[in-house]
Amino acid sequence: MAHSLSSECTPLKLEYDACFNAWFEGYLEPAVAASASPTKREEYSRRNAAIFQEKCGKIWESYRECVQKAVKDKGLDKLLQQARDENPLTEPPPPPATPPEGSMSSI
Amino acid sequence: MKFFSQSFLYDDPWSIVSLAYFLRYPNPYASHVLTCDVISRTLTPSGTLLTTRLILKRGALPRWAQNIVGRAESWVLEESEVDPLGKMVRCRTKNLDHVKVMQVEEWVMFRHTPEGKTLQTTEARIRSGFGWGLTKKIENHGLNRFKANVQRSREGVSLILNLLRQSRLQTMTLGGAESLSSVLESPDRDNLTSRTSTGAWARLKSWISPPSPT
Repeated sequence: MAHSLSSECTPLKLEYDACFNAWFEGYLEPAVAASASPTKREEYSRRNAAIFQEKCGKIWESYRECVQKAVKDKGLDKLLQQARDENPLTEPPPPPATPPEGSMSSI
Repeated sequence: MKFFSQSFLYDDPWSIVSLAYFLRYPNPYASHVLTCDVISRTLTPSGTLLTTRLILKRGALPRWAQNIVGRAESWVLEESEVDPLGKMVRCRTKNLDHVKVMQVEEWVMFRHTPEGKTLQTTEARIRSGFGWGLTKKIENHGLNRFKANVQRSREGVSLILNLLRQSRLQTMTLGGAESLSSVLESPDRDNLTSRTSTGAWARLKSWISPPSPT
């Protein structure tokens, strides 16, 4: 079972996950075409966000508060900040000229 | 530095593969995942979902290196973008701690193909700054582990995918998917709401994540 990093937050996480996943399943199959006008798409997106807020907004707030506190208490906020400052996640590097898997060398 | 690159084609449509990917923890192939938390999640005005997750994994380093750093666990940051209209998932992960010993960065993408299938591409870069003549040894270990994990990860996603498929098939047989067409015709709030609450996930969740004993 994928628990929360803080056992205190696990019940909130499970409740949030269940709520989010139900919303997410519908989100992945939008009832609007990719070819629809930007206005229509934004309207759809806003409505979707409103549905999420209505159904899961409260539990998301509680869960997020709990996790943010746990992250601070464990000193993980520094680790996160460091990772973002020093080495932000980037695009994948261009593939190397030679096939990487064949180029392994042992010492 | 070592690179890894691989593609895989799923026969299923993008939406169900992407759902399975995000539901992949927990699964029996991912027992090394100890904790998994969403630390930020936003929906952009254009409808793209941006998520950052913080994951604690066990045993990412070779055993002898675990002895050196004194810990067998590793914090992993996962940043993802889901664009349901463009039918694209992009997900980037990297480990946050003991990065001098080994840093593994991974890029995964799920794209819809014109045939209605889903193409997954996985790229990774494995780097060690350890020195002491052990850099290559650590990078090779990392690469081999990564390759084995890609396989396990795919088996995990396939397992969840199977459960989702079975669940949806059952719904179709029972005539429970009737809401889909009505939603497509009139995408009002009530229809969307009922659709999410009767989705495959709702029926699956007791399977995938049974209530934890208190």
